[in-house]
Amino acid sequence: MDFEIQETPEAREFRKDVRAWLATNIPKDFPRHADPSDYSYDDFLKTRDLGRKLGELGWLWPTAPKKYGGGGLSIELGIALEEELDQLDLSLPPYYDPGCRYGAPVLMVWGTEEQKTRLLPPMFKGEVAGWQLFTEPTSGSDLYSLKTTAVRDGNHYVLNGQKAFVGTAYDVDFFIILVRTDPKAERYKNLGWFQMPANLPGISRSPMRLLWTDGTGGASNIVTFENVRVPASCLIGGENNGFEVSKSWAELEHGIAGTIRRNRLITRLFAYVKQAQRGGVHLIDDPQVRSVLTDIFITSEVNRLLGLRNYWMSRTQQPVTYQGPQASYIRKMSGLETAKNILKILGPYALTSDPLWDLSDGHVEADQRHSICALHPGATEDIQRVIMARRIGIGRVEIEKPGKLTSLVTPVG
Amino acid sequence: MDLSLNERQLQLKSAAREFVAKEYPHEKLAELNRSDTGLERDTWRRAADVGLLGALIDPNLQGTGNSLTDAAVIFEELGRGPVPGPFFSSAVLSTLIIDECATPEQRSALLPTLASGQEIATLAMTEPGYGWDPESVQVRGKRVSDGYLLNGTKLFVHDVLAATKFICVVRTNGVKKGKGGLSVLVVDANASGLHRRTLPGFMNQVGELRFEGVRVPEEALLGNITDSWNQLQTAFQKAMPILSAFKVGGCEAIFQLSVEYSRSRIAFGVPIGRFQRVQDHIIEIVNRLDAARWTTYEALWKLDSGRPAAISSHLSKIVASEGYYEGCNYAHEAHGGIGTSYEYPLVAHTRMSRTLLHQLGEPQYHRQQLATYMAAQDYA
Repeated sequence: MDFEIQETPEAREFRKDVRAWLATNIPKDFPRHADPSDYSYDDFLKTRDLGRKLGELGWLWPTAPKKYGGGGLSIELGIALEEELDQLDLSLPPYYDPGCRYGAPVLMVWGTEEQKTRLLPPMFKGEVAGWQLFTEPTSGSDLYSLKTTAVRDGNHYVLNGQKAFVGTAYDVDFFIILVRTDPKAERYKNLGWFQMPANLPGISRSPMRLLWTDGTGGASNIVTFENVRVPASCLIGGENNGFEVSKSWAELEHGIAGTIRRNRLITRLFAYVKQAQRGGVHLIDDPQVRSVLTDIFITSEVNRLLGLRNYWMSRTQQPVTYQGPQASYIRKMSGLETAKNILKILGPYALTSDPLWDLSDGHVEADQRHSICALHPGATEDIQRVIMARRIGIGRVEIEKPGKLTSLVTPVG
Repeated sequence: MDLSLNERQLQLKSAAREFVAKEYPHEKLAELNRSDTGLERDTWRRAADVGLLGALIDPNLQGTGNSLTDAAVIFEELGRGPVPGPFFSSAVLSTLIIDECATPEQRSALLPTLASGQEIATLAMTEPGYGWDPESVQVRGKRVSDGYLLNGTKLFVHDVLAATKFICVVRTNGVKKGKGGLSVLVVDANASGLHRRTLPGFMNQVGELRFEGVRVPEEALLGNITDSWNQLQTAFQKAMPILSAFKVGGCEAIFQLSVEYSRSRIAFGVPIGRFQRVQDHIIEIVNRLDAARWTTYEALWKLDSGRPAAISSHLSKIVASEGYYEGCNYAHEAHGGIGTSYEYPLVAHTRMSRTLLHQLGEPQYHRQQLATYMAAQDYA
């Protein structure tokens, strides 16, 4: 066994080029905020601009196929690139873009050659970013009960309905949306998957103020569709096949791609407890603090290793069953547990992002909120367990198959 | 990166699985798990024949010279049984202690006898003032003209009745504190003044060892050194993830048992696994299984490749020990009453998970060790 990714000599050389490029292209004051909702519009534009520059070099989605506008780099080079960005507290892409992160691998499976050739290059070059529109005000865990409709009209589909918990406060270029295309067909055979422009007439947004959108630039959205005419060429995966397509997306969102990213929160926490004192004693030297820190560490190690396992399994095309939702379930639950443990150690300090009194640049306080919000995206922790049970075959002999995937576009997960 | 087992390990795995299937049918396992020694001499000889007892011993000393990961693959299979008996005590823990502490002459004399199964060794370290830190070792090995004189009690000694040799950690310099003077003496089980018995209760083959004026010769001292604490800790760090691998095997067995039961047991007209509350119990088992598996094999990889492994080794011990213990509890929740029958394979695991929970240190002890290493290391 080997738990480490070995750096090739080529990657070592490439790292130097990357470092030099980043030094000239990323100013010291490049925006980085603990809370995604703290980004101003100007900050947001800077991150998109960096994305375009990286995209031109093939460095935004470095391991995506060159044929479709990706970098075509080996995993080793992609990792070197991500690690250099990580040194600057940045990652790929430097903004919220599930439309490309999950949408591109889905297109690779389900798109026609024409769709892949047309849609993927602007995605991989950072010219466009996209959001997902699945959840509705009355369809969450029971996603496939969704009510938004798409009715065929000549070369178009006409969309009506509402989607909730969508995206962030600023610009977006395309939507990936799951809608009901056949009102009469049975469940799972009545859905369509569209990748469509986000600016068509009849689309409107209203902000949702959520626990993770505390910042001045923060909001998620309700998106309303009123007789929105979407070109039929936006349908991905064919008529009434949206359920199958959505399974590929879900596989990724649940975490089958794994990750080899470091846990920045843990790094920050250890720095914090070595620096902060209570009653003249450094927190790290307090036996009770140490005991709680140990629990935090054990949890984070288990998460790291399951992320690593999934990373290895997905990159080496091992047959997977329950591993994606398992990583998701454990990540969600241990995130909440860790937030509680941090609160035990830091007390009320964990609940303020005040620049004078907080020692973590707001990261600890943001985590207290985000760990709750993180329970729900990509299906709740309860749904993850339901999927695990089906994939393991608890109480049943026939085992549910995972969503289809052919390639991944991220080097580090 | 490659998280798969190599050719050799796959071969060892299937050979070990075959050995367990052949030697330990369910009825025999149930009986042996509760016997005084967990051992049948014939089986022990055949274990030696297939190279199991010398798994970590140099080929020049009649062993098979495996890596720690190789040995762990074998022990994972034994854990699936769970196979009782002094496999871990003799072939792993005692072997590694002798390897770390003994002189080359002592190694040549002792290790081949362990590989052949002629002798069975076990560690005698903890005492009535239970603990795995230096201060908890108080039994005195008093220096006398022709060797050492032992008086006192060792408690919670694993495989206490199966062993023919005790690897005893004692104080030889008269000082009651610190690591200095902590020495390892090899004591014959038939030495005069040595009394042993197993303890009744929710553990298997764990017992008490009393020294009443036991005399051992000078050569009984491993390594001719009187300060063996650091070498002992090195041996423990290597042994811990192999013990964890045994527990990984145990977790895997109870997971499979529970999944099968969830399919076959009908209640309210459906297989009980259709109920989400039952599913949740089984999911908690697989989560503990996978956490134990990957912390364990990462620690083994670090040890085998010469990387610093202290943190990983303690981590695997905590996660696997607690995982096996809690996993059994969840399996009982999934099974209901039948799970508590000695006729059903779960109970043997439940007893084993308790028996091994404290072996080489209880989880809380390892948490303290982990904290010390973490504080010393620069995580920022």
